[in-house]
Amino acid sequence: MTNDTPDTTGAANGDAAVAAPDLSATIWPEVDRALSGITATAEKAVLDVIVFIPRDEIIDGLRRLKNDETLAFDYLRSLTAVDQEEAGMEVVYHLYSTTRRHNLTVKVALDNDDLTIDTATVVWKAANWLERETAEMFGIRFNDHPDPRTLLMPEDMADTFPLRKSHPLQEIEILQGEGMGYGEEGPA
Amino acid sequence: MVAEPSERAREFETQDLLLNVGPQHPSTHGVFRMVLSVDGEVVKDVIPYIGYLHRGAEKLCETMDYRQGIGFMDRTEYLAAFNAELSYLMAVETLAELEVPERAQWIRMILCELNRLSSHFMFLGAFGIDVGVFATPFIYAWREREALIDLFEEISGDRMMYAYFRPGGLAWDVPQNFKQRVEEVLKSSEQGIKDFDGLLTNDEIFRARTQGVGVISAADAIDYGMSGPSIRASGVPLDVRRDEPYLKYDEVEWDVITGSNGDVFDRYYCRLLEMRESVKIVRQCLERMADTGPIMPEKMPRMLRTPPGEVYIRTEAPRGEYGIYLVSKGGNRPYRLKVRSACLSNLQALRDMSVGQYVADAIIVLGSIDIVLSEVDR
Amino acid sequence: MNVDLFGLEVNAWADSAIRLLLIVTLMTVVVMALIYLERKLIARFNQRIGPQRTGPMGLLQSVADALKLVGKEDLRPKAADPWTFELGPFLVFIPVFMTFVIVPFVADWQVRLLDLGLLYFVAISSLSIIGWVMAGWGSDNRYAMIGGLRAAAQAISYELPLVLSLVAVGMVAGSFNLGTIIEGQDVVPLIVWQPLAALIFFIAALAELNRTPFDIPVGESEVVGGPFVEYSGIRWSMFFLAEYAALFIMALVFSAVFLGGFLWPFGDELGRWYQVALTTVKGGLFFFLVVWIRISVPRMRVDQLMAYSWKVLLPLALLQILVNGLVLVNGWSEVILLVTGLAGIAVLVAVTGRAVARPRGLVGPAPRPAAPLPAQGEAAS
Repeated sequence: MTNDTPDTTGAANGDAAVAAPDLSATIWPEVDRALSGITATAEKAVLDVIVFIPRDEIIDGLRRLKNDETLAFDYLRSLTAVDQEEAGMEVVYHLYSTTRRHNLTVKVALDNDDLTIDTATVVWKAANWLERETAEMFGIRFNDHPDPRTLLMPEDMADTFPLRKSHPLQEIEILQGEGMGYGEEGPA
Repeated sequence: MVAEPSERAREFETQDLLLNVGPQHPSTHGVFRMVLSVDGEVVKDVIPYIGYLHRGAEKLCETMDYRQGIGFMDRTEYLAAFNAELSYLMAVETLAELEVPERAQWIRMILCELNRLSSHFMFLGAFGIDVGVFATPFIYAWREREALIDLFEEISGDRMMYAYFRPGGLAWDVPQNFKQRVEEVLKSSEQGIKDFDGLLTNDEIFRARTQGVGVISAADAIDYGMSGPSIRASGVPLDVRRDEPYLKYDEVEWDVITGSNGDVFDRYYCRLLEMRESVKIVRQCLERMADTGPIMPEKMPRMLRTPPGEVYIRTEAPRGEYGIYLVSKGGNRPYRLKVRSACLSNLQALRDMSVGQYVADAIIVLGSIDIVLSEVDR
Repeated sequence: MNVDLFGLEVNAWADSAIRLLLIVTLMTVVVMALIYLERKLIARFNQRIGPQRTGPMGLLQSVADALKLVGKEDLRPKAADPWTFELGPFLVFIPVFMTFVIVPFVADWQVRLLDLGLLYFVAISSLSIIGWVMAGWGSDNRYAMIGGLRAAAQAISYELPLVLSLVAVGMVAGSFNLGTIIEGQDVVPLIVWQPLAALIFFIAALAELNRTPFDIPVGESEVVGGPFVEYSGIRWSMFFLAEYAALFIMALVFSAVFLGGFLWPFGDELGRWYQVALTTVKGGLFFFLVVWIRISVPRMRVDQLMAYSWKVLLPLALLQILVNGLVLVNGWSEVILLVTGLAGIAVLVAVTGRAVARPRGLVGPAPRPAAPLPAQGEAAS
């Protein structure tokens, strides 16, 4: 490994093994130490390290990542979700430290029949609108969110979740207003 | 600041006036609505309503292949389209492990910085109108933007939505008089920056209107995830070009501009000084850029496919950190494309910045965050 | 009772009527010319050309605008209070016309030179404030109401420095009659002895005209038109006309009171048409300054505006009166007035600069980090 300072996201070498890529040169050991007590697993993506945290421990985990001194993830870059169809949905957090300048990706797996998760606004204020958008696009409910209104979608379409894979793109168009609509058959 | 009402006045039962600003309004820079709850002239609460320009770019890109998606990225940030395209294509190139030739990188960098110039000119023009100068800053801004946009039209064929970058490099080579044209444009832009500096910066009324107004502290700004000049004005030296360099930003000499007060004046002045830095960067790129050379890798597949994987690429757009989170499951389309919009995160802080100020200040604060609604709504 | 009207003998009442009619016609034409001139001036300041197609050099632009406005539909909001909504424009417009009564254009081209001319001028022109508030209230629109209240607050605040500066001038000139004041300026115009009063009058006049930097009521990028936002067509044009007529009047009053009107520096020697030209040049100077300031200066916030009037202009105007009184009562030389006036202007400039500006914070290049930072992963570009 080329560098052994724990606070750089040094890329793993090209000879990373297929089964278990060696994460000891990345930020993972520090994260593992900070998240002790929380079942967290890690994976190496193209640039960052992805940490998987179970849903019930997510807020605790995010808090620790933010408050830890060597990690200091004080900046929430992005919060979104990915619809993995049968495998459920994943809520993805991209974290950044303005003082140490390293990155981390945190993922939480949710089952399709229980799309609820605690809100991260208690950790970063930036999560407020990002969670509103994720909620309305995917139908994930963020518990105790201070302002659970729709952000981009109109208020009367709060039951449509456009970014789900099950939501078709062009087959059915439901227009707003009374008497307008094509319905199931498509345009007449 | 604002005087507190006396005890007697508190006994009266008054209702706060709900003032609706927008969606059609001369100063909201696009279709944006905010409801100000006003007590006399003092703003008590700000409730922004966005989503008027939501076009489902993320969903649509899931059905487009990587080349078709470039046009969508242009339209998510029409004032800084080159930066948007660059972000997206860097994500694609990272996943597909494409090597962009050096000359194409220099050209990309020049065009992105010129786009930053034109976007900041737009900001100066619109901001001048918000502050109340009748028409002069707007006309000055458009005079400079015309020079820049003419250059972009000569290169890419389009004035605003360029679709000029391609995965791996550029669509076609720049014209032969590229360096000379860029030098001309830089000269006129420098004059424009000087004009704006002379018009606004030391004007007493402008200072009185903008200093001490719309302050946000560094800690709050970081917590809100703000980026770009809006956070640098609060003293946080956060610049993707410096912290996580891409293209050739680590090979040219330039400075990150930070402010100290985090008020409207600092945000304005940071952008003005940033424009000078952009001119400096472009001049250095022009010197280092080769006159001829390849602009695409030699062997490009006919249909670009990316292996499965995910990546989050961030670049410094004029408004802040424009991030692209790209999840690919093989194939030639993204599985999930998330656009991390700088303006959305900056806009979240609007409430904290405006509460307790006057109505006129709320308009100026909104102008100083420099939002473009197409990026907020996508 | 017969009086002399340009060499003819007519009944006094007919004489008044004819003069008023002439004034009204003149005013309408001049206002349209002023609108055209302002657009051309603003365009030149913005490196554009301005109206150029309607008529030769765009001279008929104002006529075209007037025709368009007359032909528009007269809208009225359903919930607008009928009396206040209808009468508002009249109450803005008529007092401005009435102030034309006392202004002398040339030697005996005026309606009536009243002995209390200046007092009449200030008193009548402040009636417009009621019109603004009526327009704002009667429109049943929040923006209009806010604009109307702002206009009233601003106008009332700036009445005081305006009146006091004119009082100061009246003290030195010895009369409120505009004809007497003009005739009294045979050697030097009054601006030399009362420079501070002139400056205060200029600033207060900008505020009374609701012109930038004091155009909060019509802040176009905020409340979009202020109290006029619900008016359309001919009613709106009455407000517009009133604003430019008031500008015209202020220009004439300023040139008469401070710059010597039609008499200084040539007196009666050259004849009437040179005097008209002189009045035009002096009024035009005022107009040019007003337009120049409009396009280069931002708008003040409402609290800064009020603070400026009450805390800066009013005390200085009172000081000017005090100094005038001392000089006149003790019979000191008039040069003292000039010196104190210039000192007063220096104080005004210094206080203005401090009242509205604060020292700049540190904005500049951030210190570069010591260690080189890692490149962004394995990004290819």
